[in-house]
Amino acid sequence: MQKEIKQKWFYTQLPETVWDYLTKPELLEQWLMKSDFQPIVGHKFRFTFVPKNDSKYDGTVHCEVLEVRPFTKLSYSWNGNIKDGSRTFNSIVVWTLIPKENGTELQLQHNGFTVLEDILNHTNGWNSCLKRIDELINTLKNANA
Amino acid sequence: MQTLDAFQVIADPSRRHMLQLLSKESLTINALAENFDMSRPAVSKHVKILYGAGFISITGIGRERHCILKQDGFNELQDFINFFDNFWASKLKKLETILNNKSKK
Repeated sequence: MQKEIKQKWFYTQLPETVWDYLTKPELLEQWLMKSDFQPIVGHKFRFTFVPKNDSKYDGTVHCEVLEVRPFTKLSYSWNGNIKDGSRTFNSIVVWTLIPKENGTELQLQHNGFTVLEDILNHTNGWNSCLKRIDELINTLKNANA
Repeated sequence: MQTLDAFQVIADPSRRHMLQLLSKESLTINALAENFDMSRPAVSKHVKILYGAGFISITGIGRERHCILKQDGFNELQDFINFFDNFWASKLKKLETILNNKSKK
């Protein structure tokens, strides 16, 4: 059973190229968000975005680099605030790059939401949630196949 | 009382424990309180917060008030997970477009 957000995507570019797009702020901004990222363990940085008017998020994701293995693995914490300043979630993003068929399989795990593991035993609410995630992931896989 | 969102509600370990206990069976507030080393008013406060955020409903049976798990609060968490799942799917797709355009140049 799925207990986290997990996705994979195949790119026809080599891991070195994909890595650049995960670690260089000017390239990250093109597909993800503005940031002051640096590939140094312990570096604290922020992703910023312009929240929609009705969004309760304040437009900043607070992060800290946790692991850097060039061209192979990258992880950082991913913490979000809501507008009144109270923290709502703490999570971890892990990128894994696997060379494959002259390209790269990029895997993403987004997990560790403060909460979720603790109450995953809960059968009532979570089964439908996890089923939905499975469906989304399968849809994605098929679309990408 | 201040209304907390679903993540603030379950950020508290005592409230998570309460939800775990209630996921096994419905309990009266008194029975729930027996599992915690805290004052009865403190337990009541947590119960009110869980109720306010839609994680439980409270039903009076005789003199007792029973806490029963409810779907609404969990749906908000589900929406949150779905939000990020969709968020990343669209970002990964966008990265592909950018990488492919770059290769063509």
